[in-house]
Amino acid sequence: MDRRSFLKTAAGTGVLAASGGLAMPALSQGAAAKTLRFVPQANLANFDPIWGTQYVVRNAALLVWDTLYGIDDKFQPKRQMTEGEEVSADGLTWTFKLRSGLKFHDGTPVLAKDVVASLIRWSARDPMGLMIRAIQNEITAVDDRTFKWVLKQPYPKMLFALAKNNSPCTFIMPERIAKTDPFTQITEYVGSGPMKFLRNEWVPGAKAVFEKFADYAPREEAPSWLSGGKKMLLDRVEWVIIPDAATAAAALQSGEVDWWETALSDLVPVLKGHKDVNVDIGDPLGNIGAFRMNHLHPPFNNLKVRQAVLTALNQEDYMRAIVGDDDKLWKPMASFFTPGTPLYTEEGGEMLKMKNVAAAKKLLAESGYKDEPVICVVAQDMAATKSMGDVTAELLKSIGMKVEFVATDWGTVGARRAQKTPPSQGGWSMFHTWHAGADCVNPASYTAIRANGDKAWFGWPDVPDVEKEVTNWFNAKDLAEEKAVMGRLNKAAVQNVVYAPTGFYLGYQAWRKNVQGVTSGPFPVFWGVSKA
Amino acid sequence: MAFVALFVFSLLYIAPGDPAAVIAGDQASPADVERIRASLGLDRPYLVRFGEWFFRVLQGDLGTSIFTSLPVTQLIGQRIEPTLSLMVLTLILAVSIAVPLGVIAAWKAGTWVDRAVVGFAVFGFSVPVFVIGYLLAYVFALKLDWVPVQGYTPISQGIWPWFKNLILPSITLGTVYIALIARITRATMLEVLQQDYVRTAQAKGVGNRDVLFLHSLKNAAVPVVTIIGIGVALLIGGAVVTESVFAIPGLGRLTLDAILRRDYPVIQGVVLIFSFVYVLVNLAVDLIYTLVDPRIRY
Repeated sequence: MDRRSFLKTAAGTGVLAASGGLAMPALSQGAAAKTLRFVPQANLANFDPIWGTQYVVRNAALLVWDTLYGIDDKFQPKRQMTEGEEVSADGLTWTFKLRSGLKFHDGTPVLAKDVVASLIRWSARDPMGLMIRAIQNEITAVDDRTFKWVLKQPYPKMLFALAKNNSPCTFIMPERIAKTDPFTQITEYVGSGPMKFLRNEWVPGAKAVFEKFADYAPREEAPSWLSGGKKMLLDRVEWVIIPDAATAAAALQSGEVDWWETALSDLVPVLKGHKDVNVDIGDPLGNIGAFRMNHLHPPFNNLKVRQAVLTALNQEDYMRAIVGDDDKLWKPMASFFTPGTPLYTEEGGEMLKMKNVAAAKKLLAESGYKDEPVICVVAQDMAATKSMGDVTAELLKSIGMKVEFVATDWGTVGARRAQKTPPSQGGWSMFHTWHAGADCVNPASYTAIRANGDKAWFGWPDVPDVEKEVTNWFNAKDLAEEKAVMGRLNKAAVQNVVYAPTGFYLGYQAWRKNVQGVTSGPFPVFWGVSKA
Repeated sequence: MAFVALFVFSLLYIAPGDPAAVIAGDQASPADVERIRASLGLDRPYLVRFGEWFFRVLQGDLGTSIFTSLPVTQLIGQRIEPTLSLMVLTLILAVSIAVPLGVIAAWKAGTWVDRAVVGFAVFGFSVPVFVIGYLLAYVFALKLDWVPVQGYTPISQGIWPWFKNLILPSITLGTVYIALIARITRATMLEVLQQDYVRTAQAKGVGNRDVLFLHSLKNAAVPVVTIIGIGVALLIGGAVVTESVFAIPGLGRLTLDAILRRDYPVIQGVVLIFSFVYVLVNLAVDLIYTLVDPRIRY
């Protein structure tokens, strides 16, 4: 090609491009209306909901994999993939029957053997699953649609375990996939849920795409959280990963995306003022802010020191630091449990209401605190932990404690908090985190409230009274008994300062007004959502 | 490159953080975390891990991402086009604006034109990339609706959509680069314009344009080309922020995500690729020297 013909070709290409001639055909209006573009809370970096328990993975998995039971908005377990269940009079044998017509995305029927393999994998990773595993005699497929779980002792919370929305849920996979070691990631994403995962369009960190599963057979009941008919009105759901909140807000305003799961409270006034955008509370179960103290080493191995900190703590300071001036977004809580849920209690929670620095100083003096430095490890890359860390540093100083503030990132906190060595040898005294409110409605999946010493969550509290009440809750026969147990449990947890709850806070979600059916829930509910 | 490989691997080895803890999630017990660590091979000795990884790299295998279970080469392959597009467009934009600006500023030294260019350069250096990005997105995407706020359209789907998605990020990323090149061009040109042969050319009646661009700029080109090459490192660093602000699924965001999660194979792979690109750019710069200054021989 000579120079003249090259220039001609280049010019021609430019004209063609400018006129849109090289562009791909745009989506028709109908197709665009059936495609929802959703900005999730985080990047979908992996897609094995048993191997990785991050909530963003759970939320995506709920589209692809169905569950045996599903919790509704009253926290009651409801049948989902099952048609019925029977428990023997001694409470030791559970027999479950699957609904007919259930199919996996590869066209094969869902069989009892798939369920058994899936439950075996789930029970190796889930706290409730591990409890069942510990008392299990056997789990077997009786026929194609029936399976049996035989236990050594009754487990009254069986249906709750199979229905709960905490990660990991009881996602049912084909046997060949479910047989993967629970500590190894699956590489095939075949479920029987309302949408298929389009693996070929997945760009981790950028995009994940789900397509309606035509053979999905939804239940007839009205949908409520994980229960009822999961009827998809959309053909395609595209998850668009936008890490920057300001960019996500701008993309929503310009109509480039339709729904933003976690609208930053700072940007909500702008979104509320936009004519095409709706804003409302996202997850009504919210989050519980927390800092955990290391019960193994000074100074927090001393109960009076922990009580001094809790006595001085003012939850409003923490909540204002996290959510700002919007009073709809936070509540104080003299409790370890999620406010507004059926089992919520403030029994024995007086210490959390005191906010009394003078009383805290007195307690600290009585404790024999020897000026040991508090190694306060704070992740700066998470807005909530950074805000809480700043408040805590001031709180500790105000009662006369010596603070060594370690500003770091969440990845480092994750590794350092597992160290049991003394703070002076690479360990820690305190770190900040938060718990999803959905995890804190009762002790079922509430790892953070456990106080079984070495087996407890980071900080390793050892409080037999707390453990006794947790066991009592699992054995409780009815709601009244559960409530009584919860009161005693809260009292024991507060008195012994298992950890320090810094308050309950909520977040907003935002969506375009042409999207209908968006509801509040502990996870984004896509069934029933449509787009005009 | 071998030194870079050793350095990157060692740095990550001693860096705090644990991908197994991130994968296991908050509900996991220490035993679960340990099992995941073992399944990922992170419990093996440093030398064994380095040896295995290095041997695979020599065969062109950068390993598998800890989190996505996808090959690192596939992840890089998915992300290379947006980053390459962003960098090339920024480079073209920056050089085509900055060099004439620097030349004109030197030619009009001491006048308001010179002061305006120097002022712009100071602005370009001082304002953080993300501030420029937000301002541009607010005005041109949100208010005027001329271009999209975020995202990337592959060039295979049309040059115009591709350009529309990239123009704001390129200006954002290019501002500091334009400032840098314009300042160096101005300083070098000021020096060259004092040379006798320039005065001779002017005395012989050669036009200003020819004096500036044919006689002077060519002789000022070596430092300018050098700074363009060095600036590629600046672009690579800036791409991380720019890609995050404009949600461009490029290598910058891949790197950032991998660092936050401690996805070691991805970090190692991306750093190796960036180092390789940087070495190539330096080689290209060295070769360009021989074109702009025939006295340079290797």
